[in-house]
Amino acid sequence: MKLDVLHQPDSAIAKITMAPQEELIAEAGAMVAMSSDMNVSTTLRKGKGGGVFGGMKRMLAGESLFLSVFRSGNSDAEIYLAPKLLGDILPYQMKGTELVVQSTGYMASTPGVEIDLGFTGFKSLFSGESLFWLSASGSGLVLLSAFGSIYEVDIDGDYVVDTGHIVAFERTLDYSIAKANKSWAGAFFGGEGLVCQFRGTGKVFCQTHNPGAFGQLVGSKLPPRG
Amino acid sequence: MKYDIRYKPAFATLFLTLKPGERIFAEAGAMASMAGKIGMKTEFFGGFIPGLLKSFFGGESMFVNHFSNSTSQPLDLVLTQSSIGDITTIELTGNELCLQPGAYIAHTPGVKVELQWAGFSSWFAGEGLFKLKLSGRGMAFFGTYGGVSEVMVKDQFVVDNGHLVAYEPGIKMNVQLSGGLMGSVTSGEGFVNRLEGSGKIYLQSRSVDGLVRFLRPKFR
Repeated sequence: MKLDVLHQPDSAIAKITMAPQEELIAEAGAMVAMSSDMNVSTTLRKGKGGGVFGGMKRMLAGESLFLSVFRSGNSDAEIYLAPKLLGDILPYQMKGTELVVQSTGYMASTPGVEIDLGFTGFKSLFSGESLFWLSASGSGLVLLSAFGSIYEVDIDGDYVVDTGHIVAFERTLDYSIAKANKSWAGAFFGGEGLVCQFRGTGKVFCQTHNPGAFGQLVGSKLPPRG
Repeated sequence: MKYDIRYKPAFATLFLTLKPGERIFAEAGAMASMAGKIGMKTEFFGGFIPGLLKSFFGGESMFVNHFSNSTSQPLDLVLTQSSIGDITTIELTGNELCLQPGAYIAHTPGVKVELQWAGFSSWFAGEGLFKLKLSGRGMAFFGTYGGVSEVMVKDQFVVDNGHLVAYEPGIKMNVQLSGGLMGSVTSGEGFVNRLEGSGKIYLQSRSVDGLVRFLRPKFR
């Protein structure tokens, strides 16, 4: 399998060249184009996060209930995958470690990667963001998508990220969800809502823009849905 | 203050390093991530009443977050804006700049931020009753939806509504129909801003209202 990410960072699209009889799992709706002899099946993913219940959990997490499985035929095949929003794509190589992914940030993975709903969060009272995180484990490639560019922070000690800006982080980090401000009034009015406080060592991948904030900017001017 | 604006022009993001003792004020919600040891305090934007006015009429939050570094080592802070687009830095050395609603991102402590009456014609055109006026000494950062163009205006200049982000106070705004009632409706330009005076203006290459007008008919 060969990966090229084209048109970074604003209009990133992943071009994947697959050898015969290779498999790729992707979020339903991410496929832009593919070779005509590619086999496509829709699955409620098997394994820990699979089955109807797993699918329901994924739906709760803001993900599609279904995942698409792309399997190349007897010759090389090509597939293009892209997220819905403008922004970058980040390939992350899993090597038996665990990666926590913001639910909307998952785009695709290779079969060796187990995707599970690791952390069933709650709708934040302050920011209105859903905090549902998927946990990726095993080994293989995960493709993450972001709104905006992705910057990587190598944490050694303490670091704070607004929950709307998290794409993914390595599970070697300890984390806790907290108010950005010490006082409740500050948390409510300060606009930062909830933040994730990281401790320890590991990488966090942040998106430069917050989809919720952009949605609010545009959505507040749109008529209510009838 | 050390800063770097990365991912220009589509996803401009402000990467700051606060040296020990340095402080910066930023729009509520602008913080994307930061070192755990940075102190953050929420304050009223220029006092309670002006803050209230700003929130209702200026299109800005009535709160501003105050970030400070009280440790002895430099600390990182990442600020961004809600819309995608560019970020512009302004160095104020006694000169002044007016910002349209929604453009403000951050300012350093020497900068004074005031709320100013923009007039009914501005409000009528959807530009808000108030504008922010920056003065004093220091740095300020503002954001645009899309890229930013600087234009030196002499005498008169016409700008489509929604594309003007910032201007020097020597400029006077006159919001009017772009060319008679029928012409305005049919040309799709609606209101235009007829600027008078001389000074620098900053234009954004896209307008949020334009995006909204595009999306609105698709909402069914």
